[in-house]
Amino acid sequence: MNTEQLIAELSRDVPRVPPGAIGRRLAIGLALGLAVSGILVVFGLGVRPDLGTAMHGFSFWMKWSYTISLSLVAIGATATLARPDAGRARWLWLTAIPVALLALVGVGELIRTPQTEWLKMWLGHSWTVCPWIVLALSMPIFVGLLWSFRTLAPTRLRAAGAVAGLAAGAFAASVYCLHCPEVSAIFVLTWYSLGIVLAASVGALVGPRLMRW
Amino acid sequence: MRTSEEELRALMMSGLDGNAGDHAALLRALVPLLTGFYRRRSPDSDIDDLVQETLIAVHTRRGTYDRARPFTAWLFAIARYKMIDHFRRGRGMVPMEGLEEILVIEGFEDASGARLDVDQLLETLPDKQARMIRATRIDGLSTAEAAERERIGESDVKVSVHRGLKMLIARVQGGSR
Repeated sequence: MNTEQLIAELSRDVPRVPPGAIGRRLAIGLALGLAVSGILVVFGLGVRPDLGTAMHGFSFWMKWSYTISLSLVAIGATATLARPDAGRARWLWLTAIPVALLALVGVGELIRTPQTEWLKMWLGHSWTVCPWIVLALSMPIFVGLLWSFRTLAPTRLRAAGAVAGLAAGAFAASVYCLHCPEVSAIFVLTWYSLGIVLAASVGALVGPRLMRW
Repeated sequence: MRTSEEELRALMMSGLDGNAGDHAALLRALVPLLTGFYRRRSPDSDIDDLVQETLIAVHTRRGTYDRARPFTAWLFAIARYKMIDHFRRGRGMVPMEGLEEILVIEGFEDASGARLDVDQLLETLPDKQARMIRATRIDGLSTAEAAERERIGESDVKVSVHRGLKMLIARVQGGSR
């Protein structure tokens, strides 16, 4: 096909593109993935029975602030890297703030707790499964984001995959908070973060292959 | 004729608002820009293909253009990506210049390496056995030719080769030289 024909062909279908198309596209993929992960938690793992009382307590909101703030930074970075002319996602360093704050809370906990209890506090009841559940719950969200990326234009595929994985992991951790009864900051800082980092690694690994366009 | 950033951007915005005529005008204006871009960077590749691929990408991914940012930066980011992708995809089929020379040189190295090994091994044998093996197994003479060259009997050649090879096998299997 010669170029003039191609241009005529392409110009036949020119729908209006409202501003903020990237955000909308990502929001749809994210919402679909979140719905699946939410269903898995509610009907698979089960919502923690004391959620109502827990929501009046500190540790629930500590966990949620941590995972949700990570989610927002990561999805913002994802939206940046969805553009071809994206620079470096510098403000990804903002993720250091929730991590540092949670670490501070963790230090406070350690000071208040006798040393003999530290290991129990760190491992909780579920350290062996927590990272894996977060990773598993992140997969529907990651797939949703991959769907979003089908009309987007990332040019740094490994980075885009990593931040999309990071966002998926952080959102998955937020959903998992509805089930998980763990209360200690160092537990969340270690095992939640491990699950989130695993999700980001998966994203970095498959990004170059699955985000090509 | 080159179109300026402002003109391109105006066309792009109008296309994003659904104006098909301006969208076509934009794509048409991009052809010389992209052709120049690719000709400077990859003069050997199929420039028409690259230009068309990029036009399609500009069309299908136009939602990723941020109206507050420069248009040409967005455009050339796509063009650069498409160029890299093009190379990456074609890598399995790129004709390698001077491939034969590379192979010849590699073969030479292997052959000379093997010869060194054989020479080292033969040095460990009695002189006569080594000479007979060299004559019949490396220089490619027949038993009769070797016997004639060395002025010894054919059966002598055979026995020397046989004993020498037996000893070599024992050396190699024993791992000592």
